[in-house]
Amino acid sequence: MTDTLDVAVIGGGFAGIGAAIRLKQRGIGDFAIFERGTAIGGTWRDNTYPGAACDIPSRLYSYSFAPNPNWSHTYSGSGEILGYIESMAAQFGLHEHFRFSSNVTGIAFDETAGVWNITIEGRADAVRARAVVLASGPLANASLPNIPGIEDYRGYKIHSARWDHDYDFTGKRVAVIGTGASAVQIIPELVERAAAVKVFQRTPGWVLPRVNRRTNPLTKELYRRVPAAESLSRRAWFYGHESVALGVVWNTPLTRVVELVGRAQLRRQVKDPWLRRQLTPDFRAGCKRLLMTDDYYPALQRDNCKLITWPIARIAEHGIRTAEGVEHQADCIVFATGFDVSKTGTPIPIVGRNGRVLAEEWQRGAYAYKSIAVSGYPNLFFTFGPNSGPGHNSALVYMEAQIDYLVGAIGTILDRNLRMLDVRRDRQDRYNAAIQRRLGSTTWNSGCRSWYLTEDGFNATMYPGFATQYVGQLRTLDLGDYTVVPAGASTTKPRIAAVS
Amino acid sequence: MANVMDFDDMLRKIKDRQWALADIDWDAPGAETISPELHAKLKPFMADLMWIENVGARGFAAMAKKAPTETLREIYRYFHAEEQKHANAELALMRRWGMLDGDEIPQPNVNVKLVIDFLDQYADDMSMSFLGTVIPMLEVTLDGALIKFIMDEIEDPICQEAFKKINADESRHLAVDFAVMDLLGHAQMRKLLVDLVGGWAKPSLIIGVLSYVPLLNKMRDNIVAMGVDEEKLYAALKRYANVGERSEFARRLPMYQIVKMHGGWVINRGHPYHLLADTLVKVTARVPKVLLRKDPTWSKEITYRPAA
Repeated sequence: MTDTLDVAVIGGGFAGIGAAIRLKQRGIGDFAIFERGTAIGGTWRDNTYPGAACDIPSRLYSYSFAPNPNWSHTYSGSGEILGYIESMAAQFGLHEHFRFSSNVTGIAFDETAGVWNITIEGRADAVRARAVVLASGPLANASLPNIPGIEDYRGYKIHSARWDHDYDFTGKRVAVIGTGASAVQIIPELVERAAAVKVFQRTPGWVLPRVNRRTNPLTKELYRRVPAAESLSRRAWFYGHESVALGVVWNTPLTRVVELVGRAQLRRQVKDPWLRRQLTPDFRAGCKRLLMTDDYYPALQRDNCKLITWPIARIAEHGIRTAEGVEHQADCIVFATGFDVSKTGTPIPIVGRNGRVLAEEWQRGAYAYKSIAVSGYPNLFFTFGPNSGPGHNSALVYMEAQIDYLVGAIGTILDRNLRMLDVRRDRQDRYNAAIQRRLGSTTWNSGCRSWYLTEDGFNATMYPGFATQYVGQLRTLDLGDYTVVPAGASTTKPRIAAVS
Repeated sequence: MANVMDFDDMLRKIKDRQWALADIDWDAPGAETISPELHAKLKPFMADLMWIENVGARGFAAMAKKAPTETLREIYRYFHAEEQKHANAELALMRRWGMLDGDEIPQPNVNVKLVIDFLDQYADDMSMSFLGTVIPMLEVTLDGALIKFIMDEIEDPICQEAFKKINADESRHLAVDFAVMDLLGHAQMRKLLVDLVGGWAKPSLIIGVLSYVPLLNKMRDNIVAMGVDEEKLYAALKRYANVGERSEFARRLPMYQIVKMHGGWVINRGHPYHLLADTLVKVTARVPKVLLRKDPTWSKEITYRPAA
């Protein structure tokens, strides 16, 4: 291995592993994956709470370049997904590239050398790499809510993304804060074990049915023998989800249809009118993440479960005090409060050309060119960067397109011995102006508060279109969008357009 | 005069001043200050008061769905909960005074029940300008007058402590109520009239009026039965008009004018209106229980226990 790596991949989750596989397949072998943990898997390694599962069908929530004919159900649980990630790492020989317990604390670009200096916690010297893939993922950091008194609580605290499997819920009084995607999966499991479960809801989400079937052994066999059949099935799922965009991404008459399905599910599963009222969302379907579950409403109505919709006033020593004046005592509080998604700032300090700091530029909300590259930060590529979030389709479809694009860009840097491949500011601005204009007509920007938006209501998270459009724009790397500086060239000469 | 309010600031204040049942020592001395004679009269009064808190609660729950901004929606979510807290505190006082038979929750009088039934069925479908004009009247007269009465008449220090907190909450409720009324008055007259006609054109409103009219007179009867001057209720009714008149925008609300006019009739005992209202009190008193709807499940949430 040389002193300077060709590529540093930061993060060993789905994105980091996907990028590593494609780098290898492109013939780029001099790379390392820096993982702060001691195992691979990222979000799926961390989210092992009971009931954890993906609400996108597994056929689609997997890489097309690493098909898996063995999915046991339509929608897989976290264990099976993690198994898939591990099997990919083994199949493509990625373990030798992993550097575990390597917590990257910052990266800075050396413009003269055209390399990134990567500082790692506990290590004196910086690792150098010609290109960096920041695959740290939007769902990497667990987020505790800002509730007064949270430190005063003497009971046990568990975050859904850092589950404690040694804690025995049997006979315990449990409070669950949050009713989002993780909560609706945890609650049905908790009511099976705990003596009492109180669910603290701030805003109800739209709940749609999720039909989870066991995969027929014959289907598995067919997919093993005829990979084209699996690919066809994946396409069918893909276009099925694409059609949902018409109602979920944009406010259209089809949004009403999605809401009708949600209301029908609520009416069918909840008989009490007041409970139904409490569970009816007051925002358009799609504005916040849709919840897919058949088990949540029945669980809420179990004798040992209670939905609390009073605002939380504070957390006290023994429980949660709500604004109706009652202290709801609990032995354990489960925080299903999601993640600290970077909409402003950056997950680690990033210093680009001329000492510019990306966190400062992203203070009011993150932006990038096609969600992947930021002007002034050459040879640096994001997976799941700004405005790449899907509301209706598989994140893996988006991720795969990003990976192929950035691997192409890194290949260009190495093949042509470039010092810098830096996206042009004007192209980036034009792209973002269009993105923000298009976001104006989406459900996400239709007036509700969600983790998609910053405090100021800026949407730095979602891509306002079909997955097909997103993938399409990343199919080709147009060097005309970039300032291209070969090794040895002066930086004062901003662009060599003739490279392409 | 425009009644300008910084609602974000108000929401912060509301959050900062939250109190819990656990903050009060319900077993502290002072319960003995309630004489047996007062005890007998106070019991049905407290039961009604506790249920009237739920009238406000249900109204605010509807407002939380209608409010035009997230801040106001959040304020109403808190107000909804605070009304429930007041009911809980009043139940805790009843418990302290030995007025509860085990865990049994006392039932409201038929007039309160009719209004709760009405609100539960129809409030969510009413417009913001309609609710925003009527709820302040309910708050200022029923809640405000009755709380003032309790604070004047009952010596028990724990009762005083609880009602001091309740009163502080209520003053914030009323401040927001009137600020919102002022805001509603800024709407175009055309919209105000559409809301008015749309509101009254609904048959449900007739049911609402028929529930509300006897409620006021019934509460007046209750106050008189307690040996107190009915002027206390009337003073509260006048307050609605007094505060409303200070805002040129609130005055523009047709519904405000109607509610104010009605208030004027109520405080004029010689007005023929009372023939109707008193008759309705008598008629509603004879409504067979089987004809009343089952209590909504939310009304079963009331508890005297500081911790659950």
